Amino acid sequence: MAPPRSTRSSLQSVDLRALDYLTSPSANLLCPICHSPLITPVQTQCLHTFCSACISLSLERSLTCPVDRKPLNHDDVTPAPIMIANLVNDLVVLCPNREKGCPTTCARWLVESHVREDCGYATVKCVKDGCDGMVERREAEEECVHEEVECAFCQGVMRKLDLESHPKECPKLSSDCPYCSESFPNPELADHKLVCPAEVIDCAASHFGCTYSSRRSELDQHLSGCHFVALTPILQLHTERIETLELENKAIRQKLDLLLPPRPLPSQSSAGASSDPNDANSAGRDMTSEMQDYTYHLYSEYEQLRSDFERLNVQIRELDVKQDMARINEGLRYNDEMTGVRAAINGLRMQLHWLLASRRETGTGGAGAGGARSVAGSSVSGDARRMSDSARQVVKL
Amino acid sequence: MAAVKRITKELAEFSGNPVPGVSAGLVSEDNVFKWNVILTGPQGSPYSGGVFTLNLTLPTEYPFKPPTLNFTTKIYHPNVSNDDKGSMCLGILRSDSWKPSCKIAQVLEMAAGLLKEPNVDDAVETSIADEYKNNPESFEKTAREWTRKYAK
Repeated sequence: MAPPRSTRSSLQSVDLRALDYLTSPSANLLCPICHSPLITPVQTQCLHTFCSACISLSLERSLTCPVDRKPLNHDDVTPAPIMIANLVNDLVVLCPNREKGCPTTCARWLVESHVREDCGYATVKCVKDGCDGMVERREAEEECVHEEVECAFCQGVMRKLDLESHPKECPKLSSDCPYCSESFPNPELADHKLVCPAEVIDCAASHFGCTYSSRRSELDQHLSGCHFVALTPILQLHTERIETLELENKAIRQKLDLLLPPRPLPSQSSAGASSDPNDANSAGRDMTSEMQDYTYHLYSEYEQLRSDFERLNVQIRELDVKQDMARINEGLRYNDEMTGVRAAINGLRMQLHWLLASRRETGTGGAGAGGARSVAGSSVSGDARRMSDSARQVVKL
Repeated sequence: MAAVKRITKELAEFSGNPVPGVSAGLVSEDNVFKWNVILTGPQGSPYSGGVFTLNLTLPTEYPFKPPTLNFTTKIYHPNVSNDDKGSMCLGILRSDSWKPSCKIAQVLEMAAGLLKEPNVDDAVETSIADEYKNNPESFEKTAREWTRKYAK
């Protein structure tokens, strides 16, 4: 039974700044100084936010805000709004022991307690009193793994922890080679396997089609007479060349597809091809390549449309500017005209005033004479009115 | 150390999203404070076709102190000192205008921008700056010649 984990808390400290985040956090939550998500965020008088540790470091060097260089004192720095602290504390981080194998992800404010109390990969102190060794929590069984033990075969002394992996390295233990059934000390076995003369291996030119395989010791004979091996250099050259040509061909085809006018839709051609049942296979292939072509066409058309759209946008903008200019010009012209008309009206008004004033003057001077003069100076219509008036008077009479 | 962490982060960011015309990497894997930078001369400038190598040195106090940029390739430019240091004068690299929020990528972007258009107000080589202002043809000729001679 595993010991209750909470009894031994890990002494491993968590460096919050070194944590990796599950998703890259918003740029708004990064400290301008360390470029990491804020840790214990604080706010300056000029409303910039930093990690508490970062701004202290910065203020030690210069009493200005690191963003706008306004004067700043230690007293002008206050804790940032709790909302900001909560936002950064809730960011999901990966466990710092991820490289050792811990798959845990959790909110940043929980990661310290995870490492201290839960993480199976955190290092904790060994259970045994008096043992100073450290051990990963998941390996910390009830007994101490740091006790020194002796290997039963080589009499080497090692920690219990390492005993598990020791047999592979123990020089006194030997295993049989799976090919030649000879026995070798464990440390040498791996080297032997690479050169064991009894292992059955394929001809060196097997990837060019040679089906021969034999024991390593006998292969040399075959190699000297194998046609495939003799042809290997030239075959190799050809394969490389074909590969480069294929790449080139692909690139050229893509270019061509972009340049050619769009072909008929794939649905039409595939309908035609599938009418022949024997050709179903090739039709499928045709269709995929056709689809690919079609995608290219769509893509190029999209590009074209986009450039058209951009061109139109520019034209519209130009037109806008032109229209604005025209409107302004016209407005200016109208303004000028307006002022001209206004001046003319003013002139007329002045004249009218003058006329009225002069008439009033003459009216007070001698009404009768003025009236007579006005009758004498008035037009035919005035006379006509007078006449009609007199006519009316006549009727009245 | 905070500086190392931030620089490592910036290097990763820069490799993922490089500035056009600029490539950069560490001089050696175990020292993040020394960067190798390669600028390619922008088209349409007298430096076009040239490849300029620079050393970017970050102070241990980074980001509180600005980095320094030195051309190791000789270049005829008003903003680059014409000595064996080849130090580049960039507005944001002066310690009174440096801000810890500035990034290395921004510095490199501005350096690449200076190749496209020298800044005579910030010049270190006043004679080159005067030539650039008053006799642009002769400036271009020399700059092109130096590019051909030293930056190929």
